[in-house]
Amino acid sequence: MADTVSLLRRLILESPPGEWAVNQLRELLIGALKQGPIPQHVAFEMDGNRRYARSRRMETVEGHHRGFEALARIMEICYKCGVKVVTVYAFSIENFNRPKYEVEGLMQLAKVKLEQLTTYGDILDRYGACVRILGQRELIRDDVLEVMDRAVARTKHNNKAVLNICFPYTSRAEMTTAIRSTVQEFLSPTPPKNTPFSPSRIRQKILSGQLDGRDLLPTIPDDPLDDGEYDGKDVDDGDDNDSSGSATLPPGSPEPRLLSRSGSYGSTTLPNPDNITVDTIERHIYTADDPPLDLFVRTSGVERLSDFMLWQCHQDTHIFFRKCLWPDFDLKDFIWVLLEWQWRQKQSDREKPSGRAGTVKARSMME
Amino acid sequence: MPMNFENTKAYRADERLGHSLLSEAQRQAIFKASLPSPNDGSTIVNKPGQAQRRSRLGVRRFIKNQIFVFVFALMHGIFSLYIKSRQTWHGVSYRISSILYYHHATPQYIRRDIMGLTKKPKHLSAILKTEGNHRAKNDLDRLIEETAELATWCACAEIPMLSIYEKSGVLKKHMPRVYEAVVQKFTFYFGAEHPTLSVTSPHQDDFPTRMLEESRHGHLQLHLISYQDGRESIVDLTRTLADMSQRGKISPRDISQELIDAELSEGILPEPDLLILFTPHVELSGYPPWQIRLTEIFCLQDNETFGYQVFLKALRNFASAQFRRGK
Repeated sequence: MADTVSLLRRLILESPPGEWAVNQLRELLIGALKQGPIPQHVAFEMDGNRRYARSRRMETVEGHHRGFEALARIMEICYKCGVKVVTVYAFSIENFNRPKYEVEGLMQLAKVKLEQLTTYGDILDRYGACVRILGQRELIRDDVLEVMDRAVARTKHNNKAVLNICFPYTSRAEMTTAIRSTVQEFLSPTPPKNTPFSPSRIRQKILSGQLDGRDLLPTIPDDPLDDGEYDGKDVDDGDDNDSSGSATLPPGSPEPRLLSRSGSYGSTTLPNPDNITVDTIERHIYTADDPPLDLFVRTSGVERLSDFMLWQCHQDTHIFFRKCLWPDFDLKDFIWVLLEWQWRQKQSDREKPSGRAGTVKARSMME
Repeated sequence: MPMNFENTKAYRADERLGHSLLSEAQRQAIFKASLPSPNDGSTIVNKPGQAQRRSRLGVRRFIKNQIFVFVFALMHGIFSLYIKSRQTWHGVSYRISSILYYHHATPQYIRRDIMGLTKKPKHLSAILKTEGNHRAKNDLDRLIEETAELATWCACAEIPMLSIYEKSGVLKKHMPRVYEAVVQKFTFYFGAEHPTLSVTSPHQDDFPTRMLEESRHGHLQLHLISYQDGRESIVDLTRTLADMSQRGKISPRDISQELIDAELSEGILPEPDLLILFTPHVELSGYPPWQIRLTEIFCLQDNETFGYQVFLKALRNFASAQFRRGK
């Protein structure tokens, strides 16, 4: 009995009209979901490929292939809904501990898929998505790395959406890298300030104005006040200056002062480590350019983060643990996640009236 | 749109044979068929001289949009009905299980509940929340009461370490009061012969400062952490490391995952085995990121209350979860 039902179901669903109807329904649901707030950045921990393969009596590698198909489906849904960034956990550094042939299979999978992506590059172009590889590059084999770089270069020009592939990645390694490069940054002298207004030019302008056109520029204050201003500036950029010794110079002699100051500008001064803030480290995190993580989804019922996006998701990200295995994950599961997320968003907006006005406005604009 | 079944079958067969079955052109045709149309989305190709057609398209788009808005409203209508009934159902069933599993303030009952479990966490962690809109004093009393309860259950279950995350850090400021409350609760449960307790917190002296000799009833370490011990602690560590390397004491190459891990787990918080949330959904609200790597996160869906049954279910869930560590 159950067999005939499932056979009938398959017959209907796999026939062209059935397929057409299912696709129309998908389009309708995605279009409808788009009317509400949409998370800007979604992370997926694609867990359960191997259990799926085991339950279907397949090779492990084939389970991973099915997982990739699921990823393609989900990516499509995300980009159609308007998600800007999708981050997926493709390969953990810990995964190198798996049986060798499986690691080999995964590498091969990544290589083939990315190769197909570069040959038929318009797949991602249609969504305006660019690929980025996050992780410890030095652990990737050369041939795979080459294909990856090609895929990244091929899709670089797309700017509507981003696909972050975490390949060999762990969050702790990411944080370690971020800390290390922050320390590195603070080891090099302060780079010249990135403004088109050079302080030395301004100073020279003022000095030359004082020298030849005092009456033309009445706004420039007279000498004593001017000196005071200079001293203030000296303290400002001179608290970390080294041996230039502008402080030891007797005051009131403009020319050596100018020399010493321009000297201190070119010299090496180390930035103060107390200036390191959360934002400094954030800039060195792999996802620095992406919007904050709104939604984190892990499949297969495991309720752990397993070293993925720790830095990004420990604040106010909504974390969802789903029971189903990743290759089975589709719109029918994801829609519940999105609906609940939208519902919570509405709920929290209701608590903060100011936020609600924003969404109502956005909604009316959409309509 | 997703691939149709014919194409999927062909593609999978091709894949199995290592991409030797289909020719390039065939494979490309499969991809083409499943791609969205190029002007999918907001970009409408303007064809000159087709103003009439465009206006019809506009009407169609408008109708389509209206349908979407309608379906959206319908979906959310159904969804809020679903979620309301789910919340009610969960609320009722949690109420029932909190009656069924009650500790009666007796360590023996708790021990009996725990006895069947194959493994227990060595380090349990919990997130407790302040309710901002209540009076601060009441809120602190409630927090301390909850901390004391939780600590006592841990002592009964013979879990040696409990860490409590409270975002604002108000618990950390009242360490002696927390200590008093927990000891009082211990006495209430165990009588005179209760386990020893030490209250610790990062960057603060342990309480009590001088450890009494460990009683034969075990020992519980209660560790209090706050938002400051999350990202901020990593920033602090980075500052220290930057300072040291500026002085030439270390080189950036020496900064390894092991070093950071050692510093953070000794200085702030060792990695917990199980994290219990008493919120309706999983949201970490600033819990230290470095340490939750492999922590089992337990959250009862739609649960809003603090209770023994949440603690018990978390422990049961933990015992049944398996660890694979990437294998």
